[in-house]
Amino acid sequence: MKNIHKIIALSFLLLATGCEDILSEDPRGALTGTTALNSVEGLEAALTGAYKPLTITWGTGFATAATVAVLMGSDDLTTHSGSNKQDFREFDQLQVTGLNGRITPIWSGCYKSIQGANNIINNYKNTAGDASKIKQIAGEAYFLRAFDYYWLTRLWGKVPLITTADFSSELLSVKNAEVKEIYTQIESDLNNAITMLADKKRDVGRSNKGAAKALLADVYLTMAGWPLKETAKYAEAAKLAKEVIDQKSTFGFDLVPDLATFFNNTVAGVATSEEVFTLHFCGSCQWFTANALYGSSAMPSDEGGWDDYFPELNFYNSFPEGLRKDLTFHTTFTKAGGVKISWQEGQTKHPYYAKFRYTGGLNTSSTNSSLNLLRYPHLLLIYAEAKARAGTPDAQAYEGLNLIRKRAGLPALSGLSNEEFIKAVINEKSWEFAGEYTRWFDLQRLEMIEQVNTGKNPGDLKPAPVLSKKIYYLPVPNKDVTVNPNIGN
Amino acid sequence: MKRIRQFKNPLIRIMKLSFVHLLWIASFSTITMAKDGYSQEILDKRITLEQHNVEIRKLLKNIEDMTDVNFVYSSASIGAEQKVSISARNLRLSQILDEIFKSRNILYKIYDNKIILTKNKFRLMNLIKPPASPILNAFDKVVKGKVRDQNGDPLPGVSIVIKNTIKGTTTSADGSYSLNVPDDNTILIFSYVGYATTEKSAGGAATLDIVLSQDEKSLSEVVVVGYGTQKKSDLTGAISSISPKDYEEQPIIRMDQILQGRAPGVQVINGVGGPGGNVKIRIRGANSIQGDNNPLYVIDGYVGGDLFDLNPDDIESIQVLKDASATAVYGSRGANGVVLVTTKKGSLNKSVLTVGVNYSMQDMIKDWDVLSAAEFAEIANKRSIAIGATPAFSQTQIDEFRRTGGTKWLDEVLRTAPMKDYQIGMSGGGGKTTYMVSFNHLDQEGIVLGSSLKRYNLRANINSQINKRIDLRMNVSATRRNSLNASDNKSAPLGQALMWAPTTPIRDANGNFIKNDPTSSISVNPVALALDLKEHYFNTIGNATGGINFKILEGLTFDVGVAANYTSSQFRGLRGVTINGTSASAERNFSEGFSLQNTNNLTYRKVFGGLHSLTATAVYETIAYKSTGFYAGASGLIFPGLGYDNLSLANTVSTSAGYSNNGLISFLGRVNYAFKEKYLLTASLRRDGSSKFQGDNKYSVFPSLGFGWKISEESFMKDLTWMQSFKIRGSYGVTGSQAIGSYATLSTYLSDAYSATAPFSNSTLTPGIILGNPANLALKWETTSQLDLGADLSLNKGNIEIGFDYYIKNTKDLLLNDKLPDYVGGGVITRNVGQVQNKGVELYINATPVQRNDFHWDSGFNISFLSNKVVDLGKIDTLFTGSNVGGGLATQSEFVLVKGQPMGSYWGLTYLGVWQANQADEAARYGSVPGDARYLDLDNNGIINPKDYHIIGTGLPKVSLGWNNTFTYKSLSLNLFTQGLLGFDKLNYTYAVSISANANAREATLADIRNYYRPGNENTDVPGFSKSNKNFVQSTRFLEKGDFLRLKNISLSYALPKTKSKFADIKIFLSGTNLLTFTRYRGIDPEATNITSSTDVNQSIDLGTYPNAKIYTAGVTFKF
Repeated sequence: MKNIHKIIALSFLLLATGCEDILSEDPRGALTGTTALNSVEGLEAALTGAYKPLTITWGTGFATAATVAVLMGSDDLTTHSGSNKQDFREFDQLQVTGLNGRITPIWSGCYKSIQGANNIINNYKNTAGDASKIKQIAGEAYFLRAFDYYWLTRLWGKVPLITTADFSSELLSVKNAEVKEIYTQIESDLNNAITMLADKKRDVGRSNKGAAKALLADVYLTMAGWPLKETAKYAEAAKLAKEVIDQKSTFGFDLVPDLATFFNNTVAGVATSEEVFTLHFCGSCQWFTANALYGSSAMPSDEGGWDDYFPELNFYNSFPEGLRKDLTFHTTFTKAGGVKISWQEGQTKHPYYAKFRYTGGLNTSSTNSSLNLLRYPHLLLIYAEAKARAGTPDAQAYEGLNLIRKRAGLPALSGLSNEEFIKAVINEKSWEFAGEYTRWFDLQRLEMIEQVNTGKNPGDLKPAPVLSKKIYYLPVPNKDVTVNPNIGN
Repeated sequence: MKRIRQFKNPLIRIMKLSFVHLLWIASFSTITMAKDGYSQEILDKRITLEQHNVEIRKLLKNIEDMTDVNFVYSSASIGAEQKVSISARNLRLSQILDEIFKSRNILYKIYDNKIILTKNKFRLMNLIKPPASPILNAFDKVVKGKVRDQNGDPLPGVSIVIKNTIKGTTTSADGSYSLNVPDDNTILIFSYVGYATTEKSAGGAATLDIVLSQDEKSLSEVVVVGYGTQKKSDLTGAISSISPKDYEEQPIIRMDQILQGRAPGVQVINGVGGPGGNVKIRIRGANSIQGDNNPLYVIDGYVGGDLFDLNPDDIESIQVLKDASATAVYGSRGANGVVLVTTKKGSLNKSVLTVGVNYSMQDMIKDWDVLSAAEFAEIANKRSIAIGATPAFSQTQIDEFRRTGGTKWLDEVLRTAPMKDYQIGMSGGGGKTTYMVSFNHLDQEGIVLGSSLKRYNLRANINSQINKRIDLRMNVSATRRNSLNASDNKSAPLGQALMWAPTTPIRDANGNFIKNDPTSSISVNPVALALDLKEHYFNTIGNATGGINFKILEGLTFDVGVAANYTSSQFRGLRGVTINGTSASAERNFSEGFSLQNTNNLTYRKVFGGLHSLTATAVYETIAYKSTGFYAGASGLIFPGLGYDNLSLANTVSTSAGYSNNGLISFLGRVNYAFKEKYLLTASLRRDGSSKFQGDNKYSVFPSLGFGWKISEESFMKDLTWMQSFKIRGSYGVTGSQAIGSYATLSTYLSDAYSATAPFSNSTLTPGIILGNPANLALKWETTSQLDLGADLSLNKGNIEIGFDYYIKNTKDLLLNDKLPDYVGGGVITRNVGQVQNKGVELYINATPVQRNDFHWDSGFNISFLSNKVVDLGKIDTLFTGSNVGGGLATQSEFVLVKGQPMGSYWGLTYLGVWQANQADEAARYGSVPGDARYLDLDNNGIINPKDYHIIGTGLPKVSLGWNNTFTYKSLSLNLFTQGLLGFDKLNYTYAVSISANANAREATLADIRNYYRPGNENTDVPGFSKSNKNFVQSTRFLEKGDFLRLKNISLSYALPKTKSKFADIKIFLSGTNLLTFTRYRGIDPEATNITSSTDVNQSIDLGTYPNAKIYTAGVTFKF
């Protein structure tokens, strides 16, 4: 009996051994350090992680109505005059403060994406494996970084230019880079992307050589206007746009002949040849991988929607009648119980966008819809405008413009003066891309924001009483300014 | 709650024991005096004796041999093993006894030619033979027997009274008694200080032997402290004790209810009133900004147990360790205070079966005043007209609403809910082994539709004495908790019920849920939420603690304890088609943790020279923890009816898995020293090594020192009759907090689906990795140093006890999550930079204001004042670490840390009411018109922007109090327990989202909107309807005083003893919980909050919270 007790006691004591094991950490299941990027698979996973911040629903990036909110100062977008749209109204009325929650998703999404891209760009040379794959991955990372900074500098102007993925406390006191510096980085990144990317996209939601060239063409067009006004860039924009147009089959780009098909496919998330750079979403996969900018956000409350955004009245009224107008706008609302009313009888007394209306299910905000950030008609119009501004529009410029007009159900144009031609292109762009993240930036680079905000329709919200160039940019989100006051604007 | 206290005057004991006993003393105490003369002869005997370093036991034996006296004593009670030296030449026996025993506080008295030695004055007073009563002698039935304690030792001086008379006797030195009784039905009451009073029928037999078991009071004389026990009177630390006596009049279903309002310095906030909802417990405030501020729970020696899943009925005692003298033995885990829980044991030769059933009905404590559908529609129309929109409702519709009443959403999601609580307990013992087995089942439905809780607890505690030297113990417990839809937030049913328009029906013509509210809320139908959303949590805990205690030598024990703790947590969630949009989704989440603890404790107790008493403890302890888990989620369920039980039939399936480990190795030494039992000292030192830190930061040392002085033991105080005891205490020590999770010093990639998995088409997701928070290799422990000064006082024969503590706690090297700006990738970096101070005063008063024979009033009051201050934040003065609770509603972090201000400071705008007509010009500067909301423009720049935000209040309660009153009349008992929190503000987002248009709701549903600004109603602070009005919810408009006093319990119970019922002790009670709340808070429940996280930067925000319920309970307990 006594021995048994001794044995029990000893066995208890044995449990006390093995101490040093207890004090060591074993981070099983977690990836640490840059060794994660040593393999092509790791580099690929990091690239996915760099795309991801652009599409986190209700989190960061472009997946919610914040994407149109920040562009609401243009004439193709406005919001409800009451309801819960206080934050949207601030954009429409050009009175945004750093408190506005809608300014953060793109800011934080782009910068998180930049961090991911930096990690790849700074480490891909150490990755072992298939060189062509590594080149493609790095090329996509360069494209992403350029894309991110392009959005950031157009929305905020001077912003911190971060090219490292590693944290250091010095980063907490950096100063904003000059706009020129940022464009130089964008240009360099896109040139790298052009040399490294393959001709065809690996997946519909990624970039290719053509996308990089197209984006650079758009960048040059912008650089030629406000604020840099490097007018020599018009010619470069035209040259690059032409390259893409001429090699459209190489890159897999073309106009979808039927506009209705194009809109329907976009809403359904089905890829089309018109996509140059498009973010894709899978609303049926996870709630956080959905496009919530389409669907409820864009629909009238008369139909159970949220009234987040719709076109201004003057914009709608001056929109040329025809097939494209019919497809672009939603003007007859069906109330619960089947009663149909005209938009004038609707609660907000505005028409709505049909092209953001999700038909996959009723009143939903979890859509599969794809978000076209650059599509083939952009290139046709970039070429047309740049060519005209760099000299005179040639036949190819007219052809591009008229291709779009023809699809829209409008007569072809010809024999315009240079000025008339440019005006026609700018107008065409506003109609073709109504609500599609284009108009505000055109107004900005052409310094037309004040112009379109005067003489607004009495049925629309009035802008701030005094307009200055300050309203061309958004305030930096307050939470970042509180950490680093140097970056305030 | 009862504070650790010492009884100098036995009278208080008597009162708490029984009234009969009291009577008994009253009748005979004079006779005690008369006997004194007789005793003198023995004590005057002269003795010559020379002995060195001899056990008291042996010395007394020698004296017995030399004289004809006999000594009667309990070895344990007088410490007979202690060694003494004595040199006496022809001294009186009394002088020798004084020499040996005076410093030990041991008293002696002559009885029956025997000298009784005891520590207990009452035992001596009781040692008198009752006068031979002629009436008693007239009875011819004689009952004889012996009274023993649980260990079988005879108990001398036990009072035996014939029930309902004052006749009786006491046991002699060998515990035997003999009493003449009228008949076999006579009930005898056996009572003895420190033991439970027992009633026995004289019965037919001539011999009636009785075993008395110690009552809880006497057990608490020695209290459990960390890694040992200590005499209450010798404590130098600030420790609050709670025993079942303190709460037995209240129906308790959860452990936090025991702690709430009963221990000064302990703040308990029932933030989530839903079944199984979260509770926040803080001891002496919150030290850590980033880290966990929860106290450490030690359950039967297992460090880090789960308090909330214990069966409250299993509790024998709870000690709350507050100051460093008490907590430093827990070193790196002691900074937040420690709650020691001891579960019940069985008693030898006393088998008890207890069966209890409580049935409750729960209801809302208060109702919201909401608009009727017709009035809502009218007001919404007025708003539409004011902003130039088309009115949504026609007159026909409004008339129809007036007729039908529309939808009363609150009525749809709220209900009167039942709750059932069953208890079965068995305990007893035989030979050398005792057992306690219990089972508990709680079945609670929540007052919000769809919420419920089921809990099962099973426990078996076994103690066995293998031989004189070896004791074995083994406690095994298992818990299963199953809660459904207990979460609360703005998107939960109750929050949505206040946001959905009363004009929107629940279902469409086909009987399907209406998915979207076209008028107000942007979220899901509240009734659908309650029925079509399942958030099912299953928690399982298995705990086994066992150990062997060896008595190596006299006074030296070695104790080896092992504890194994298994926890598993399983989540099963289903979002039905109605609430998920187009298709249903489901998920399963499983994680389990296993920890193994080994504690080796060597303790030596010794009294040197009768003056120096020493207890030295050395402990070596290791604990290793591992957890692992996995997740599976499915979207687009093909058969939604299969729910989370079939995840493969779905469009998309996602999975993840994880692993984590950590460990702690500790060495501990402690010395308790008492000189003459007057001057007390406790010193301890613990060295902890933790896996969570690197290099030199792995190990740290935590010392403490405590002093106590029992002033009342000094000769100059002894004559004060109004004061029974007075002790002052002081302590200083250092404790730590690990505050961070495993791997915090490593920089890892995030690979979870939300952060890193991207769609590259409309049907696939690609997994990825993304950089997580940057690491800081130099992380180290948070260190808290604490000074405590306290006093314990017992007055007026123990009728009044007062305790007081003052403390200052400074926590430095605070782990702070510096929020990184988004432009560097966001996230946080953790650093040891901050410093926080908590200062406070705690006071308790326990009193018995009224005590008559059949009526009794016991009252206990305690109050704590807490002052918290952020002392240092490193290089900066202001830090936002908190998340944005009202995300979407408010765009700023609601809480801010500012140097010199308390944690939990609200950040917001000051609301100045509405612009009045005569201020139109000034209003125009802000683009506003009269009737629009007006905010304080701090920098007067004509725009309300982030620069106008400032500290607008504090969410940390400064005062917490509890007041417990029990009135007893014969077998009836009435308990009133009031608890309150004072000195804090609450941000009432629930009110904000239902009174104004905001990101979550477009129209107001609350009746208060009737008071909106309009011509003829300008004298209001509710803004009017305009295009230009700006509504910031994060403002003083919605910041309210949260102070409240609450009648937590009122109960009436009736106890029917077995002698009357003939089959069991029966106790019946009726009780009401949360019946009355005194507050000016506009919401339902000032206690309810969304902030239940373990950190304290964020405090009290109410956004669709689940309020505590009003509960009516009826219960019955049978004790066989």
